[in-house]
Amino acid sequence: MCNFLEYKDEKVVYRRYASLFFVTGISSTDNELITLEIIHRFVEILDRYFGNVCELDLIFNFQKAYFVLDELIIAGEMQESSKKSVLRVVSQQDALEDGENGEKGWQEK
Amino acid sequence: MASNMRGLTVFIADIRNCRVRELEEKRINKEMANIRAKFKDGNLNGYQKKKYVCKLLYMYILGWDIDFGHMEAVNLISSNKYSEKQIGYLGVTLLMHENHDLARLVVNSIRKDLGEFNEIYNCLALHSIANIGGREMADSLANDVHKLLLSQNSKSFVRKKAALTLLRLYRKHPDVIPAADWAERVITLLDDSDLGITLCATSLIMALAQDNLEEYKGCYAKAVNRLSRIIIDKEYSLDYVYYKVPIPWLQVKLLRLLQYYPASEDRDTRNDLHNILQTILNNSQDTQKNVQHNNAQNAVLFEAINLAIHLDTESQIVNQAAVLLGRFITAKETNVRYLGLETMAHLAACLDSLEPVKKHQDTILLSLRDKDISVRRRGLDLLYSMCDVTNAKVIVTELLRYLNIADYALREEMVLKIAILTERFATEYQWYVDIILQLISTAGDHVGEEVWYRVVQIVTNNEGLQEYASRTVLIHLKSPACHENLVKIGGYILGEFGHLISNVPGANPIEQFQAIHSKFGMCTLQTRALLLTTYFKFINLFPEIKGEILTVFNQYRHALDSELQQRASEYLSMATMPSEDLLQTVCEEMPPFPERESALLSRLHQKNSDTEDKRTWVPGSKEANKEREINLKTSFAQRNNSFEFKSKDESNGNGEADILSSLDKKWFGKLLYNNEGILYENDQLQIGLKSEYHSRLGRLALYFGNKTKENFISFTTVVENINDLIITTPQKPSTILAPASQTQQLFHIECQDVFYELPNIRISYISGKFHTICIKLPITLNKFMEPIQLNGPEFFARWKQIGGDQREKQIVFKSNVPINIQGIRKMISGFRYEVLEGVDTNPHNVVGASVLYTSEGGMIGCLLRLEPNVDTQMYRLTIRTTNNTVTNEFCKLLEQRLMNDLI
Repeated sequence: MCNFLEYKDEKVVYRRYASLFFVTGISSTDNELITLEIIHRFVEILDRYFGNVCELDLIFNFQKAYFVLDELIIAGEMQESSKKSVLRVVSQQDALEDGENGEKGWQEK
Repeated sequence: MASNMRGLTVFIADIRNCRVRELEEKRINKEMANIRAKFKDGNLNGYQKKKYVCKLLYMYILGWDIDFGHMEAVNLISSNKYSEKQIGYLGVTLLMHENHDLARLVVNSIRKDLGEFNEIYNCLALHSIANIGGREMADSLANDVHKLLLSQNSKSFVRKKAALTLLRLYRKHPDVIPAADWAERVITLLDDSDLGITLCATSLIMALAQDNLEEYKGCYAKAVNRLSRIIIDKEYSLDYVYYKVPIPWLQVKLLRLLQYYPASEDRDTRNDLHNILQTILNNSQDTQKNVQHNNAQNAVLFEAINLAIHLDTESQIVNQAAVLLGRFITAKETNVRYLGLETMAHLAACLDSLEPVKKHQDTILLSLRDKDISVRRRGLDLLYSMCDVTNAKVIVTELLRYLNIADYALREEMVLKIAILTERFATEYQWYVDIILQLISTAGDHVGEEVWYRVVQIVTNNEGLQEYASRTVLIHLKSPACHENLVKIGGYILGEFGHLISNVPGANPIEQFQAIHSKFGMCTLQTRALLLTTYFKFINLFPEIKGEILTVFNQYRHALDSELQQRASEYLSMATMPSEDLLQTVCEEMPPFPERESALLSRLHQKNSDTEDKRTWVPGSKEANKEREINLKTSFAQRNNSFEFKSKDESNGNGEADILSSLDKKWFGKLLYNNEGILYENDQLQIGLKSEYHSRLGRLALYFGNKTKENFISFTTVVENINDLIITTPQKPSTILAPASQTQQLFHIECQDVFYELPNIRISYISGKFHTICIKLPITLNKFMEPIQLNGPEFFARWKQIGGDQREKQIVFKSNVPINIQGIRKMISGFRYEVLEGVDTNPHNVVGASVLYTSEGGMIGCLLRLEPNVDTQMYRLTIRTTNNTVTNEFCKLLEQRLMNDLI
């Protein structure tokens, strides 16, 4: 099957990983294959971040999936293709959050 | 990974356990009521607010309407805790659209976070601008974002986000971004050592450059240079290698950026580009097992082929690419077949000769039967692009056959395309009529109104078509199943031209009338109205069937529909008038339609919106694309002119634009008659020059010295070529100029014909802030002269031969500096005249002879006589050359220098 579908004046580029579909909408002039690989890079990064990612990780930590996506794509464009750079920034955020929780964790239940 | 919120996890698990929708709805409603109560109660701590907002977001993602909680999200944004702030921003991003009432409330918090020292906070703010990006945010925050992008203090991950955030703002609200003013500074980001920054900057530049081609033209050379460094020099860190392909995203973007510009005139840039494209093509020869590797490699390859087609369809590279594409369209992978067909359509739309594409015609026709609809669509597009007179019949017949089984979504477009091709490539009337009527009868409801209007226009305007069209349409009308569109065409054509076939057996007047009238009952009101008009015309053409027709009119005089009623009554009374004059006048044959653009084409080409990526080609014949190309070039040239004008008073807020016309500087004037010296100097930069000339050719070296203690980053030089003077540079200077060091750049110069302007060189670099310097290069016509030795009689013979009139110019002027008799001899010979001794009886006078060489304008003899008067400080200068404009030029040049330079 073709991973590209033409929909009105736009194109849909999608990729399937087991039961999960990752779907993007691009303009008809965008490069389809490279979009396919943006999806793959996103999946790879999620995989590394969650450790063998599965559907449940994304459901129970949906906010994290958004944060990772924000590090990869802005304004519909690839922001950073280096896995290392993306993961570094995400773990920096997590460290900040962990620090806060460590200080005051006992207050909150 | 950071810790979870237990309440949220429990809630999500609950929802997942709901087996049916009703249960889920119940659970959701319960939770919403709970959260509403908690929010109303107030008094929640940050953690609780965060947790509840998260729950709301989860419900939102599941598709439930969330109409509260926005304020709580806004409040979280100003929390001191990062984890709460982060959820606040996520909430605002998901729950608000750009015109949301509350979006205004977050602008101040965002501004505050943009100014924070903690970069992670900057990032959150940037994400929210990029994701919401309304008018309000664009107006008040674009400048802050711009600052983050350009500040040397920003961390690279912040600058990347800033670049893309600006891109988003520009796409939505182009007016808030002073795209032209930022050009030079933004372009320098293409040289950034961080490939991630270059990637984001390229996305931004692609959007800005499309609308400001001229201002951003500097990006062309930089893009080529960057590609060359990645592909040829392999300059990248391992982090950026994606399945053995170095940063394919950036490669694709740079290759696309180059397609927005007409091919470069600069020979070196063209060579570099050729090497890049050839290397990409060579790399693609070995196909890999790995899917990712293949995709990345092909993504780059297809973009490279598109660029090659854009540059020159006749090039060797395009030939190789065509062979490659032939292989791709039979590939096993569906994606590759799809892209192969798409790219081949691009090729077909630009080629002069379609032969390389036609070779694959059979394969392409087969692609209409591919199992994948996306591929079938591309096949259709390609067939449309590759159609010409020689293969039109085959292609159109095949398309018609395919129409019967085509997907519904495709049919309307197919009908349009078939109609256009039939009209464009028809060589026989008969074929046109057969096909178009067959098209209308098979495609039925998928035929737009435009199609049958167009058929009527064409038949009316081509006398040779009329009889055959009438006969064929009558046959269609007589068949039991006849689509309403055919009835319309039949009604119109027979009403106008029915008399042409009334002697043919089976087509006498009453038979024509009956054929039409048998369909009358099943037609819509609109068609019936049209048919009444046909009948009225019949009364004029065939008085013998007037009786039958009047019966119909009489019947429809009482129709419920007012339009039918009116027509029937009016036609009836006109037909029953005692005199036939009115009838004849009204029913006179229709005049031909004025030539106009086919409505079919305008239907097919829809326009792109403003800041969207523009297509670099359109499907269709090469004429359509030629026109685009020309438009691109002229708009480029027009901007070119306006830019010249602008650059003179350019002093924008974009760093310090240090633009000066250095004509009046002492260094410049001296260099007109010296071959080396200092061209420019300020407290940061010194530029030295060395040059040598041999008749029409010259070589010039510039030495750039960094006088500061810091690196110059993104050091760039651009020579603005002028007519008839070719300046090329074999190697660009390095983009980084270390403190207290020097880099040199060599230029090759060729004088093609007489030129009058001075070429500019534009130098830009970043040292603390962004600097640009624009100076003229001391390359004047006299540089291309060779002195010649003549004796007295020879000199006078030539002097006479050139003659006076227009070719001589004599001026008398006063010198501002003391006259130095030895000095002026040196100056004249520096201007490349041979100073002839013993020709003039007055030893103070200077007589000179020389020949100016040009590669296309031939040789021009140049003679001069200069009479200084030391006492009065006056000069009389007489110049003769074989070209009167050159005479004027030299006069001006010498006068300036003699008058002002202390030698």
